[in-house]
Amino acid sequence: MFGRWEASLQPDQTTQPLADEDQTRAHVYALLGRLLTSAPDDALLAKIAAFAGDESEIGQALTALAATARNLDAPRIAAEYQDVFTGVTRGEVVPYASYYLTGFLHSKPLANLRGDMARLGIARAEGVVEPEDHIGSLCEMMAGLIAGAFDRAIDLAEQRRFFDAHIAAWAPRFFADLEAAKSAVFYMPVAKLGRSFLAIETQAFALIAADQAA
Amino acid sequence: MTDSKTPKSPTRREFFKTAGLGAAAGVAAGLVSEPAPAQAADAVPQSQGYRETEHVKRYYELSKF
Repeated sequence: MFGRWEASLQPDQTTQPLADEDQTRAHVYALLGRLLTSAPDDALLAKIAAFAGDESEIGQALTALAATARNLDAPRIAAEYQDVFTGVTRGEVVPYASYYLTGFLHSKPLANLRGDMARLGIARAEGVVEPEDHIGSLCEMMAGLIAGAFDRAIDLAEQRRFFDAHIAAWAPRFFADLEAAKSAVFYMPVAKLGRSFLAIETQAFALIAADQAA
Repeated sequence: MTDSKTPKSPTRREFFKTAGLGAAAGVAAGLVSEPAPAQAADAVPQSQGYRETEHVKRYYELSKF
């Protein structure tokens, strides 16, 4: 079980409504988190199969994901998930920040993440034993930070700090590796979705400084 | 800056539109509005956004096997 966490502090009672683009950002992070944490069930697959994207890079990734969801069933994708992420001793890809940044699991990046989780009021749910620096968990955390699920409302500058500290330095490379994984069929368009979305996020965060007056 | 939220900038909003995030909007929202089958029985009402913290917390339990 990955990615289960809950607010350790009281949620902000005066949470403002979310702008459309931030709702969408939270939704995409949540979708990625859901798919990277575990293989989708039949109900979720049926919904994904109905997607239609536009001609943008992210739109094409969504269209490809929908087509793959129509061609594969849940047990097949569950088996693929095992091959890609879990394997016997390890999967084709190792989806942890610590591994990508240091070559080892449970290392400094995980410690840094735990520090920020404590500061931001994100607590791991009981019973979850996997390290928190799993890409699926991190996507779920971003979704929660955008949506204000944990504590006080998290502004864009804070979101950017979290993104830069825990995602930006490694996740694009991870998604490129996932896209290239031999066993990946469903997870190939998932990887394209992740990569194109993170590229949008990176460019959009860079616009914060440009828009703020000194 | 004293506001808890950075003011939404037109430039950022425009960028998201041209990058195709608008296309992703309806798609992703259609997925996340439903709770997972394994969850507790309470029906989650459709909300306009993430104003409901409980709604959001229940959604994140989708990860549970």
